[in-house]
Amino acid sequence: MGRYIVRRLIWVVFVLLVITFISYMIFFVMPSTDPAVVFAGRQPTPELVAEVRHQFGLDHPWPVQYALFVKRIFLGDQYGWPGLGFSFNTRSELKPIIFSRMWVTIQLAFGAAVVWLLIGIPIGILSALKPRSVFDRMAMGFALFGVSAPVFFLGPLFLYLFWFKLGIAPGSGYYAIGVYGIGPWFSHFIMPWIVLALLYAAFYARMTRANLIETMGQDYIRTARAKGLSERTVVLKHGLRASLTPVVTMFGLDLGGLLGGAFITETVFNLPGIGAYAIKSVGSGDLYAILDITIIAGFFITLMNLVVDVLYAFLDPRVRYT
Amino acid sequence: METLKRSSRVLAVVGVLAIVATACGGGGEEQASPSGPSTKGGTYRTAIEDFGFTNGFDPTGEYLGTAWGLYSDLISRTLVTYKHIEGVPGDEIVPDIAESWETSADGLTWTFHLKSGVMFGPPLDRAVTSKDIAYAFQRINTKSLIAQYGNYYAGVIEGLTGDAKSPSTPISGISTPDDSTIVFTLTKPTGDFLFRAAMPATAPIPEEVGKCFTKAGDYGRFVISSGPYMIDGEDALDTSSCKAMEPLSGFDPDKFMVFVRNPNYDAATDSPDVRSANLDGVVISIDTNTDDIFNKIQSGDLDGSWASLPPKTLEQQYLTNPDLKDNFHINSGDRTWYITMNLLVPPFDDVNVRKAVNFVIDKTALQKAWGGPAHGEIATSVEPPEVLPETADYDPYPSPNHEGDVQAAQDAMKQSKYDSNGDGKCDADVCSDVLLVSRNIPPWTDMNPVLSEDLAKIGINVKIRELETSTAYTTIQTLDNLIPIAANAGWGKDYADPYGFDFFIFNSAGIACSGQVNYSELGMTKDQATECGPKVLAAWNAATDNGKTPLPSVDKKMDECYGLLDEARATCWTELDTSLMEEAVPWVPYLWATVFTVTADSVTHWEFDQFSGALSFAHIAVNNGLDPTSVPVG
Repeated sequence: MGRYIVRRLIWVVFVLLVITFISYMIFFVMPSTDPAVVFAGRQPTPELVAEVRHQFGLDHPWPVQYALFVKRIFLGDQYGWPGLGFSFNTRSELKPIIFSRMWVTIQLAFGAAVVWLLIGIPIGILSALKPRSVFDRMAMGFALFGVSAPVFFLGPLFLYLFWFKLGIAPGSGYYAIGVYGIGPWFSHFIMPWIVLALLYAAFYARMTRANLIETMGQDYIRTARAKGLSERTVVLKHGLRASLTPVVTMFGLDLGGLLGGAFITETVFNLPGIGAYAIKSVGSGDLYAILDITIIAGFFITLMNLVVDVLYAFLDPRVRYT
Repeated sequence: METLKRSSRVLAVVGVLAIVATACGGGGEEQASPSGPSTKGGTYRTAIEDFGFTNGFDPTGEYLGTAWGLYSDLISRTLVTYKHIEGVPGDEIVPDIAESWETSADGLTWTFHLKSGVMFGPPLDRAVTSKDIAYAFQRINTKSLIAQYGNYYAGVIEGLTGDAKSPSTPISGISTPDDSTIVFTLTKPTGDFLFRAAMPATAPIPEEVGKCFTKAGDYGRFVISSGPYMIDGEDALDTSSCKAMEPLSGFDPDKFMVFVRNPNYDAATDSPDVRSANLDGVVISIDTNTDDIFNKIQSGDLDGSWASLPPKTLEQQYLTNPDLKDNFHINSGDRTWYITMNLLVPPFDDVNVRKAVNFVIDKTALQKAWGGPAHGEIATSVEPPEVLPETADYDPYPSPNHEGDVQAAQDAMKQSKYDSNGDGKCDADVCSDVLLVSRNIPPWTDMNPVLSEDLAKIGINVKIRELETSTAYTTIQTLDNLIPIAANAGWGKDYADPYGFDFFIFNSAGIACSGQVNYSELGMTKDQATECGPKVLAAWNAATDNGKTPLPSVDKKMDECYGLLDEARATCWTELDTSLMEEAVPWVPYLWATVFTVTADSVTHWEFDQFSGALSFAHIAVNNGLDPTSVPVG
C-alpha cells in the first residue's frame, strides 16, 4: 500500500506539470489578450508596453517562462515558498490572495458536503427500505428537482425570497468566523451550503437508494436475516457498507472538484473563493493567477482521487494495492 | 377538538397571509430628497464587482477614471482641481494646493504659489511642500514606475523624458525655490497645462514613504493622504524603515477599501465648493454579483452604486416608477461610442465610402440597442459636448431622426472608385465579406444586425466577428490584423480639453504595431508602416499609391492648437473636429454615453463628479450616521 501511495503521489506531480504546460500553451498560442498591453494603460506607448512586459516576466520566450514558473513553484520566489508569483491585476503577491480564497472555498465545499451527506444518504436509505412508497416517490421527486434546478437559478431565488423579501436570512458576503463570530459566519454560509448541496444531495439520494436496493437483494443479506440479526444491524452493518463504496468514490471526486472552486455559488453569494477568482483572472489575463488556480484545482482533484482509492481498500477487503 | 383544529387552520392562514404581506410590502421609510440640504456625518457604503485598477491604485500610473475620483475627491489634492460637480462647471479648473499661479509671456514658464496649512495625513503630520509635488513628477519620470499617462508630461516639461532610473533623479524643468513655490519650464507652450496639473499622478507624494516603492503599483497600498480623507489604517503605518511598512489595513485590493477622515485636514485651506466633505467615511466592498449590489441598495444595506451598471429590469423599474426617480441619476459620461474604419483597408481607404457609412448608419436604432435615450445622446461628432461644447450641435451627416439617409449615403458612394456602375452601392469584391469586429455581449449583440443591414444598403456586406471585450480591443490594437471596420470601441476623456481626448486616437503618435489606439491609422507614415511588417507596408502602399497621396492627417492642426488658450483654443479644436468629420472621416460616432447611479433613501444630497465620471464623494451626503470603521466589509 505504501509503495502504491508513493507512486500515485508522483503521478499527481506529473499530471500537474502537464496541466500547467497546456495552460501556458493555451495562454500564449490561442488568440487572446496581451497582458503587457492590457496592463500598460489605455494609451500604451511601445516603451510602456516593453517595461510592463519586462516587469511581468513576459519578455522571455514562453518555454523559458514556463521553466521559470515551474522552478519558482518548487523552489520559491521573492515572496517565499511556494512561489506563486504576483498578480498583474493588483500588482501584489498572489500567495495571500490564493490562500485566503482557498480557505473560503474549503469552508464552502466542506460545509456543503456535510449538508448533502446529511440530506442525501438518509433519504436514499429510507427510500431504499420503502421502495415505491409515498416517501420514496417524494424523495425521488426531490432528487429530480435538485438535479434540475441549477445553482444560478436557486441561488438568486433563495437570496430574493429569504433575504430580500422575507428578511429571515442575511444577505450575501463572507463573514470570517475569526472577525465576526460564529453567528454571522454560519448565517451567511447556510444558504450557499444548502443551494450548493441540493444538486449533490439529489444525486447521492438516488445513488444510495439504487445501490442499497441492489445490495439488500443479495444472498448474504438473506443469510444475515436468517441468522436472526436485527434489521438495523442487517441494513447498517452489512447492507450500507457495501452499497456506500461507489458513493465514497463519487464523494471524493465531487469534493475534489469543489475544492477547485464552486464559481457559480461563490459569484451568486459574493463569497471570495478560488472559483470566482478564477473567472476574474481569466477575464483579465492575470497569467500567474490562472496558473496557480489550475495547479490548485488539479492538485485537489488528483489528491482526492488518491484518497478515495485508498479508502476503497479499507471499505472493500477484496481490494488490495501493491 | 373540531374547534381547535379550525382555530389552528385559521391561525395557519393568518400566518401565511402575514408572510405574503411581508413579502409583497414595500418599505415605509420617508424618502429624503437627494437634492436636499447636506447632512454631515455618516458613511457612504457601496460595492463594485471589481476595482479594476490599472496600476494597483498607485497614483503614478493609475489610469482608471473611478480611481481618479477617489484620489481627487477624497485623498489627493493637486495644484489645481475641479469642483467635483456635474456638467461643464464640473470640468472647470479651480485652485487647490496652489492659491495662485502665473505664466510667462511666452507660455513656457508656469509658477505656482502654494497655500500654507495643507498637511499630509498621519503618521507624517507635516505640511505638504513644493518638493513633494516635484517628487511626484520625478516618479512620473521614472521608467520602472510605468506612468501610464506620462505622455502628458514627458517631452512637455524640460528634462522629463520618462526614462529616469530612479525617482530621486531631479528634473531640470522643475524648480522649487522655496517650500511654497514650484516652477515648471516647458519645452513648448501648452494650452491645457492646468488640466495636466490636476491629474492625480501629480499629487504630492512624501519621498520618505515613496522611496520605498520603486516598481509600478507597489505604492498603491501605502498612499499617504493630502486630502480630507485617508485610507483607514494610514495612521498606523510604521514609516521608520521601508521593511517596517505594512499595507494599509483599510485597503485590500481583492476585498474592500475604507476611507476615514484625515485628522490633519484643514477645511480652511480648501473650499466647500470644491469639497464639502460631508461624509465621515466611504466603504467600498467587492461584490461579484451585480444583482446583489442593487438588491442591497434597495434593502438599505448599501447607500448607492458607484460604477456598476444596473440590470435592465431594475433600470426600467427606476425609470418608470415616480417614487423611485429621485434615486436614479443619469449623467453625461464624457464618452463617445463609435465605429472606426481603417484607412489602409479597402473599401475604407476611399473617403467617399467612409462618408457613405456615416450617412447610412441608423443611429437611432443603435441608441435603441443600448436601451434608448437614457443611455446616451446620439453622437454627431467626435467630442462629447462637455469636452468641446462648441461642437455639441455640429452634425455633418444629418438624417431624419438620425435614422440614416440612404439616398445621401448612396450619393456619396457614387463618388467612390468602388461603385463602378453608379448605382450608389459598392460593387467591388472588396465589399464582400468585410470583417467587422464587435463584442459578444449586449448591447453590441443587438447593434450588430443593425450595422449589417445598414451597410448592406450601400453594398458593403459584412462578416461580423463577435469577440470578448478585451480580445476585441487587442485584435484591433494589433496593426497587422488590418481590421477593416470595428464597432467595439469607445473613448472617454482624460480631462475636459480636446487634446486629452483627441491626441492618441487621431495623431500618428497613437499608431503602434501593437497596443495602438489610432485604429484608423490616421496620418500613418511609411516608416511606421515599414516597422510593422511587409503586410502593413503593402497595405499602406496600396492606400497611398506608393506614397503619392499620403493618408489624411491632423498632426499639423493638432500642433497648431496645442499651445493656444481660451477662445482661440476652442476655435482651433472646433476646426480640427470639423476637419476630422468632413475630410478625414475615420469614425462614425453614434452615442455620447451616460452614466447611471442608483442611490438609496439614505442619500440626502447627491452630486456627480464630471471629472471622474462617477458620483462625487466630495459633495454627497447620507443620513445613516454610521462610523466607517464599524461597517462590516464581508
